[in-house]
Amino acid sequence: MKVETQQFGELEFTEELIVRFPKGLIGFEDARNFIIINHEDYEPFRWLISVDQKELGFPLLNPFLVEPNYGKDLPNALVERLFSAEEAMDIFCVVTIKGEGGKVTINLKSPIIVDYQTKTGEQIILPSDDIPIAMPIS
Amino acid sequence: MLVLTRKLGQNIVIGDGIVVKVLKISNNKVRIGIAAPEEVPVFRQEVIDKIKAFNYMASGTNHLELKSAASFLKHLIRY
Repeated sequence: MKVETQQFGELEFTEELIVRFPKGLIGFEDARNFIIINHEDYEPFRWLISVDQKELGFPLLNPFLVEPNYGKDLPNALVERLFSAEEAMDIFCVVTIKGEGGKVTINLKSPIIVDYQTKTGEQIILPSDDIPIAMPIS
Repeated sequence: MLVLTRKLGQNIVIGDGIVVKVLKISNNKVRIGIAAPEEVPVFRQEVIDKIKAFNYMASGTNHLELKSAASFLKHLIRY
């Protein structure tokens, strides 16, 4: 399969790499199928690239890299699954880059949970009012 | 949209197990209590709107900007 991306031009990939988001992303409910790209030029970021909508991509970051205590904000059952050897899961947060200086902010309030066994993903919203939607990290 | 008038302390029941209660009324503010099953998330509209706006901004990220942010971040974070 092929998708046209802003980041990598035409990208070819196999179908088993697709992660399905049954509810889309918040505000992008029609974008249901994504691939997650880990490319050395962008590390530690990843790209969540839409397979459905041309040139739609979201930069992601593992929240534990910038917030080691992030686990306390997450439901216990989720933390157990994330760190379980039997599960193949990842958690990412969407980031933005603002302005010339490249100020990076991360949305800790609504992380993206990816389950590689079921190949599904979801952007959840954490209930606590204390978790920032746009936290500067640089 | 269904529109109902409620007095202080009165409830609205929605579906199975969602109860909305008027707790306090003052000037232009209403304090509302919501009891809902765990699987029914309840959020302020502004929170959803802010997340949407954040996602929208992220979707327009220029890959060259991300590349330069990545090289900067690599020095800050051990991973």
